Amino acid sequence: MKLKRRSFLKGVVLIGLAGIGLGEGDAPAIRPPGAARDFLARCIRCGKCGEACPYDSIKFFDISAGAKVATPYIDPVETPCYLCLRRTSEGRDEPLSEYLLCGEACPTGALRKIRNDRDTLLALPEELKMGVSVLNRDLCLAWQYDSCGECYYNCPLRDDAMLAYPPNEVIEGAVGIRPHVNERHCVGCGMCNYVCPVNERIARATMEPGRKLTYFEERYAAMVRNVIGRAGPGVELPAVRVVKRV
Amino acid sequence: MEVRRLRRVFQVLVLAVLVAVPLYSQNPIEWAPSRIAMGELPPPRVSRVWGDTWSFSFYGFTVTHPLAALEAMLAAKVVYLPLLAAALLPLAITLLLGRVFCSWICPAGFLLELNQRLGSFLSSRGVRLSLRVADYRYHLLGFALLLSFFFATPVVSAFDLPHVLGREIFYVLTYGAPSYGGLLLLTGVVLLEALAARRIWCRSLCPAGGFLSLLGAKRVVRISKRMERCIFCGECNIACPYGLRPVELGIDKDFNDRTCDNCGLCRDACPTGALYYAVRR
Repeated sequence: MKLKRRSFLKGVVLIGLAGIGLGEGDAPAIRPPGAARDFLARCIRCGKCGEACPYDSIKFFDISAGAKVATPYIDPVETPCYLCLRRTSEGRDEPLSEYLLCGEACPTGALRKIRNDRDTLLALPEELKMGVSVLNRDLCLAWQYDSCGECYYNCPLRDDAMLAYPPNEVIEGAVGIRPHVNERHCVGCGMCNYVCPVNERIARATMEPGRKLTYFEERYAAMVRNVIGRAGPGVELPAVRVVKRV
Repeated sequence: MEVRRLRRVFQVLVLAVLVAVPLYSQNPIEWAPSRIAMGELPPPRVSRVWGDTWSFSFYGFTVTHPLAALEAMLAAKVVYLPLLAAALLPLAITLLLGRVFCSWICPAGFLLELNQRLGSFLSSRGVRLSLRVADYRYHLLGFALLLSFFFATPVVSAFDLPHVLGREIFYVLTYGAPSYGGLLLLTGVVLLEALAARRIWCRSLCPAGGFLSLLGAKRVVRISKRMERCIFCGECNIACPYGLRPVELGIDKDFNDRTCDNCGLCRDACPTGALYYAVRR
């Protein structure tokens, strides 16, 4: 193909314009499990991880996210990563498949293939984890009022990632549990983030007169208002939340 | 038989697959992830059929667009063998048959082919701007590959039109809403083509199509002409969606058919059967 200089220059200008708006910027997203540092370099935005996800936990960025458009993320407030598990009638968490399905679906290795058993997850290299949970004891109803423990009881890696009591710490007068995140084993699935009652929705509902809360949530409402009121404005909710590992 | 008929069958099938795949991976029952995970509701369906024209998996067998594979490896600066293997089948098809992906498979191409009717309708009512644009596909491709390499993220993957169409179908069926970016791009291209320039995306802008054109430059199957039958009526020139001039085949020594995607419209249009698919050794 022969190119005239003018048409070539016009082309360069055209595509130069198309290039504007690219570039990473804002806060790092919580990616599906198995995303290493080279995630954005490998992800071809095919969307197969989202199709494979049995719980639709994986969502996709829109054009407002710039260069991250159409790449997957997990918002634990909406739907956490259930680690492709499902509870059986005997109360055990059984894997739905041999490997975590998003990693199995990924054609480029942007999400590594991770065997779905407890030992593999516990020994997962740090850079493949989605993030790590951070617990704010000042907001935690278990720590403040001995009256919660949702995060501990719902953790898919209970007693490894979420502990009932912090080790090597003397606690006086504990009636209930005192949840503690073990950063070594936490994969950042966001289950604790999802179930924590000290959350935005309940907090907002407690401020309204005709609040719409379930019976379960109503149990926590007064305490939620207290801990948030004590912590003051600008506090990060919920009391336990997933953040990206650094 | 008209090639167009056969091509339509392929195109409709592909579109049907794009709709069927996300539908199949959907849970037919009440959607409550937490209750499913707690075992209160039946387990979710685990299908192993995923993807669209950019990358597709069927129970462990994966096919990936060669440009997607190239971009990802350029961006990550690694050679990932499963990805390379997944690109082999489409690569072989393109080397042999040319960029038949564009004419026989691409759902966006299908949509834009149908969109031409809207374009003709509008122009018959006098609504038409005439925009002539040169072929910038190779510029865009080169630029996209450079961007992929230097910004370390696949670029064409973000806006490849058939892939955008496929994933918007998936978004709508799974999350109940399309993405604004994809919707904007699709409607933009459809309107642009209907109002101003027939098939501008496929002939001038699509970097993936440009890539396949390059791969198919030395293809084995291409349109050829039986000189003795040609009456030089020029119907084939009118039929070609890329503005090529098949009538010059066999006359013009420098006839450039790299843009040709073997759609067969010129062959269908030829009143004397002079144009045919030739297999070159």
